[in-house]
Amino acid sequence: MISWIRLAASGLSRRRLRTLVTAMGVALAVAALYSLLAFQRGYQNGLRGELDRLGAHLLVVPKGCPYDAASIALHGASWPCYLDEAYLATVRRTAHVAVAAPVMMNAVYEAATGAQAVYCGIDATMRGVKRTWRIDGAFPSASGDLLVGSERARERRWHVGDWVDLPGLPGRSGRVSGILAPTQGAEDLFIYLRLEDAQRLFRRPGQLTHMLVRLDDPENSQRVVDELRGCGAGLEMNVVPLAHLFQTIQNLVQSTRLLLGCVALVALLAAGAGVSSTVLMAVAERTREIGVLRALGATRPMVFRLIWAETAVLCLAGGATGLGAALMGGRLVESWIRARLPFVPSGPLIQAETPVLAACMAATLLVGSVACLLPAWQAASLAPSRAIRGS
Amino acid sequence: MTVLGDQRSELTTPSDLPPLVVEARDLCKVYRRGAEEIRALDGVTLSIRAGEFVAVVGPSGAGKSTLLQLVGGMDVPSSGCLIVAGREMARLPDGELTRMRRECVGFVFQHFGLLPTLTVEENVALPALFGHRHARGRVQELLERVGLAHRRRHRPAQLSGGEMQRAAIARALINSPAVMLADEPTGNLDSATSAQILDLFRELNAGGQTVVVVTHNEDLAAAASHRILLCDGRVASDSSA
Repeated sequence: MISWIRLAASGLSRRRLRTLVTAMGVALAVAALYSLLAFQRGYQNGLRGELDRLGAHLLVVPKGCPYDAASIALHGASWPCYLDEAYLATVRRTAHVAVAAPVMMNAVYEAATGAQAVYCGIDATMRGVKRTWRIDGAFPSASGDLLVGSERARERRWHVGDWVDLPGLPGRSGRVSGILAPTQGAEDLFIYLRLEDAQRLFRRPGQLTHMLVRLDDPENSQRVVDELRGCGAGLEMNVVPLAHLFQTIQNLVQSTRLLLGCVALVALLAAGAGVSSTVLMAVAERTREIGVLRALGATRPMVFRLIWAETAVLCLAGGATGLGAALMGGRLVESWIRARLPFVPSGPLIQAETPVLAACMAATLLVGSVACLLPAWQAASLAPSRAIRGS
Repeated sequence: MTVLGDQRSELTTPSDLPPLVVEARDLCKVYRRGAEEIRALDGVTLSIRAGEFVAVVGPSGAGKSTLLQLVGGMDVPSSGCLIVAGREMARLPDGELTRMRRECVGFVFQHFGLLPTLTVEENVALPALFGHRHARGRVQELLERVGLAHRRRHRPAQLSGGEMQRAAIARALINSPAVMLADEPTGNLDSATSAQILDLFRELNAGGQTVVVVTHNEDLAAAASHRILLCDGRVASDSSA
């Protein structure tokens, strides 16, 4: 026949445009809140995953911004400056250094596809850093050997033993000695070759772009950093402890997140003010109707609950719409973020997680409940005779 | 024969008469508007028995609607005694007054008072919802009684004035009230429709329903068996047929 939910929903349908606009305000605020909360968890998880996949405790790079260098090392690009290969011996001699793996990285533009191809020159010591690597085939040992990332091999339809043209390097070829098992990271697109081959190919004899350093014990990180920075070669290189890098990037992102959090909070409060205004107007317009409800036997708590239920339905509908839009528009938001942050993990930044979704809906309900307190109390306080007479 | 409440109880034996549904003694209602005091009711004494059809008439500002609202529990007296269905209204807390309105009184408004976004049957079922009762069968019965069964899924905007008032009357009866109160029920209706509503009130009264109507409609007033004339907040005359 009739239920309280039906009664509450019917109240919202009388001014549909106003209800819709108010719900959209709530949707925008919830979408912003969700994107912020989901981003923070997604970014943190992605960053930790990437640094874990790197396998190293320290990154030795040429002098310059360490965060840019870390980003290039993780995601692949051309480097603006180089390290002398002779520093490798210095690093390897340092106490508590278990493995120091040299890398000569370069990215070339492939005109045919419009994409870039990343090449990394490495030696056998890289196996000591990349302990999670699984290779189908063999690690590059002879000149011309290539170790190809799984995604690159798949898109090119390369197999172990194939002779292939090097993307972006006309006239150059190599033999696929091995294919890397998927790492879920940027390495799936890299092409690894012998260090000497890379130095020759890119005309950088005796030079490196960076070194990946694994320690015997991560607790010794600061000791090793201090020693490397204090040595003669320390003037020419930046030693970046990845744990600190993680923390520094986290702090940077945290600052940004706090600012964005304030924006999201303001948006939520503005939405709450909009809801309160809408419900206040609705109560004022329905004064006589509320008087009739009281005359028919609705108690004050019933009237209060009715107004609260209408507000809750409005906010939950707006919240659900906002979450749906945020989930669908997540890719757009990610693209926007990637273009603005200096260091961004390659995995998804905005991850849909049930606790985050639940927290957003709970926040919506809380804001709505607070917003309707005044109008609900006003409605419940209306004396039937005055309400009926006053309209 | 003019009978006032107290005199009536002296002249007849209680067992001969239907029980009192409404009894007022020196009832007063004062409104304050700033420093100004308005005595809407000034010492009203009357009684209404079960099964009566009562018309409350008088000029505008006589206190008719105020009287009805006090009897209906929508307001409380400033002084005096008012007993409705055996309960003294002035002493009841708000929750009890609300329960009285729901269970003992059925109110019909001049402006119909239907919720525009609900259907006819949903409007009629509202008092039952507030009383936490299932009333599907009772709603159907009442809609048939007032001749609106074929319109039960329509909204008020799709009804004529007469149909809306009949729906409001059905709503007022949903909880089988001791007394039905109607404040100018034909005020917004044409004469033909007003006659239909009058017939409905007669029919309900003939079935034993106590009906109290505030009206300027002479036909409606003439149909009543008990007529109370209010003037300046006082009972000018109180006559039964």
